[in-house]
Amino acid sequence: MREWLEERTALPGLWKRFADHPVPGGPRVTNVLPAVLVYLFVQEAVLGVLMAAHYSPSSTDAWASTAYLNDQLASGWFIRGLHHYGMSAMLLATVAYLVQLVARRGYRRPRELVWLCSLGLLLVTMALGVTGNILPWDEQGFWAAQVELGIMEQSPGGEALRTVVQGGGEAGNLTLTRLFALHAFVLPMAGALLLAGIVVIGRRSQAKEAEQAARTQPFASGQLLVDMIAILLVAVALVGVTMKTHGSELYAPADPTSGFQARPEWYFLALYELRMFFEGPLEPVATMVIPGIVGVFLLSAPFVDALAGKVGRWLVIVGGSLVMAGVLALTAMAVSNDEGNESYQKAMAQARKQAERARGFAVEGVLPEGGPAVFRNDPEYKVRALYKEHCENCHELDGFGGEEAPSLSDYSSREWLAALVRNPNDPRFFGGTKHEDMDPYPESTTDEEVTAIPADQLDALVEYLWQLQGEKDVDVVLAKQGNELWDDELDCSGCHEIAAGEEGSGPNLLAHGSEAWVARIIRDSSAPDLFGSEAQMPKFGQDKIDDEQLKELAAFIARQRRGDSAEAEAEPAASED
Amino acid sequence: MTDGDRGRDESEAVPQDGSRRKFMVVGAGVVGACVAGITIVPAASILTHPLRVPTTSGSDAFIPVGRLAQFKGDKPVKVDLYSDKVDAWNRVVQVKVGSAWVQQRDGQLVAMSTVCPHLGCAIDYDAENDKFLCPCHDSYFSRAGEVETGPSPRGMDSLELQTEDEQVAIRYQRFKQGTEDKEPV
Repeated sequence: MREWLEERTALPGLWKRFADHPVPGGPRVTNVLPAVLVYLFVQEAVLGVLMAAHYSPSSTDAWASTAYLNDQLASGWFIRGLHHYGMSAMLLATVAYLVQLVARRGYRRPRELVWLCSLGLLLVTMALGVTGNILPWDEQGFWAAQVELGIMEQSPGGEALRTVVQGGGEAGNLTLTRLFALHAFVLPMAGALLLAGIVVIGRRSQAKEAEQAARTQPFASGQLLVDMIAILLVAVALVGVTMKTHGSELYAPADPTSGFQARPEWYFLALYELRMFFEGPLEPVATMVIPGIVGVFLLSAPFVDALAGKVGRWLVIVGGSLVMAGVLALTAMAVSNDEGNESYQKAMAQARKQAERARGFAVEGVLPEGGPAVFRNDPEYKVRALYKEHCENCHELDGFGGEEAPSLSDYSSREWLAALVRNPNDPRFFGGTKHEDMDPYPESTTDEEVTAIPADQLDALVEYLWQLQGEKDVDVVLAKQGNELWDDELDCSGCHEIAAGEEGSGPNLLAHGSEAWVARIIRDSSAPDLFGSEAQMPKFGQDKIDDEQLKELAAFIARQRRGDSAEAEAEPAASED
Repeated sequence: MTDGDRGRDESEAVPQDGSRRKFMVVGAGVVGACVAGITIVPAASILTHPLRVPTTSGSDAFIPVGRLAQFKGDKPVKVDLYSDKVDAWNRVVQVKVGSAWVQQRDGQLVAMSTVCPHLGCAIDYDAENDKFLCPCHDSYFSRAGEVETGPSPRGMDSLELQTEDEQVAIRYQRFKQGTEDKEPV
């Protein structure tokens, strides 16, 4: 079997070379980092393919498909979360490896290329993080993209570069398809090559070192297991973080009008903070010059060390420590600034609330318009659409709609009721209809035919109507006065009954304005105890509005008197936490 | 590390080292399998998700297709069926989900799916021969929907139809293809 394979594929020989590779000094914990990097890279690749199998890189579908993957597919959140944290782990492992190379002078001849490959891998990993962060096209991704593309634009020839990367003058479908291709094909290929460089070149020089080492041991006899155990520990930590955070964040879909307070990924916080020190025309110092200098320093480190002897060695150590310290300090500053920034924390709390709503609505499916269209699944939006379709032609609401029938803005609020009693024939009420049986009740009059209702009496009457409506916040004393006026002085009861089912010449006002009453009016306002044979409003039967829609529509109209929408109700709740 | 102390020439140490090395390799394999499992288990779960949960769904309610008078003639009438549909992450409103042939049979209005039970092509009406015909593989069906010639394993699939207040409505369903029995998908 072995020979058969060997003759045809050389695989067994390759395995033997791999397994017998002499590790100078025997197995060591300090040797594990390249193996950890390989593990993280492979795991990222597999998880990435799994996600690509459920992701649609278009500006209308990106968020919806990510929300579907994250919230509806079994273990989708875990795969996405592990991929997210895996990238951070890769970055940390690469930095750790770079530090180790400096500390042990592991970048010296013949390992300069290991150092350069590691630096390249660091860059590629960051680019993978940046592009991956944008792909869900949620608020975070979209706004981070705006900032990152903006920085790109500031570099020489940046405008053209931005247009090419973005696939046009504005972010859209081509931005996502291009970034997806970059994230899923180009960058991983580059990463794989660099990683291969680290491993292969590293092993080559290890084999050289083994020739002079006092003792060696084949890779498979010890180091392999040590590597695997290190990998297992990293894996367990990653799973732990993923489980604890329930995966990675997914904010509400990208909304170019939202003003989301974007922060860069954690590994760019240092640069973000650095920018704060260079305002206005000096900004490129922070975005280009300083990172450029650091880059050149890092690239030349092995050669500086080799050329300048002891001085060079110290230059690298001091310079490297300065870079590390600077990055850490700036990152800590950025984090603590945001923690102390109340308005930022508030905005983030709001954003998370919005994300929760959007993802809740997304379960029903997102309309093909995509992204923010998910909010059209909001029952409030649906009921408004229903209102628009069936009611708006005749009933005005919030400034839109006809005047053929009573306005429903603030419908049946105390103010609305008072104004109705004052003048039922106003266009706001029944002016546009043929109902004209009810007289106006002005505050004062000289006309003997007309009954006046002074302001204090009207207050009492309205309070009584408020009570009839079934409201809870009733001034009982005032309502009692109103009740007396109703029965005696004003003789409202001559036309309006208030006992269940009783018919009068005007509508029975028991529980008028309540959801149930409004629902009855919508179904059939010509019931004898409502508007009777004089009813003008069309009947809305089951064929037009089904029971569930009727319930929602009636509730919508009945809540107009309590200041608008469900969203308005959600607003104060959001600012509380 | 006793084996390391034994010297650099590994070939000498092989007899004693063999079992130790085997243990190391197997151990590494076991650990590696555990690590791989972290990805493989959720991968299997996400990939087989469609086996457990439907990813697309249309309305199973009756879909109105027109008024009774439209179907009074003696030729079958093809109607398109529009319904809301959920397609993984999308919800689409009133899209064409399929079509049906509607005709009078023995004084009753009946509907048959245009999906051929053989391999799913669209069945057409051949007015010249007064037959239904699937043009992909030449299955001929009688006006009643029975197979006359061709590879179709069963007759055309009838669909539930109801008439209420002169309004005709059809419940659209898809059935398994290539089987003798008509089973809903």
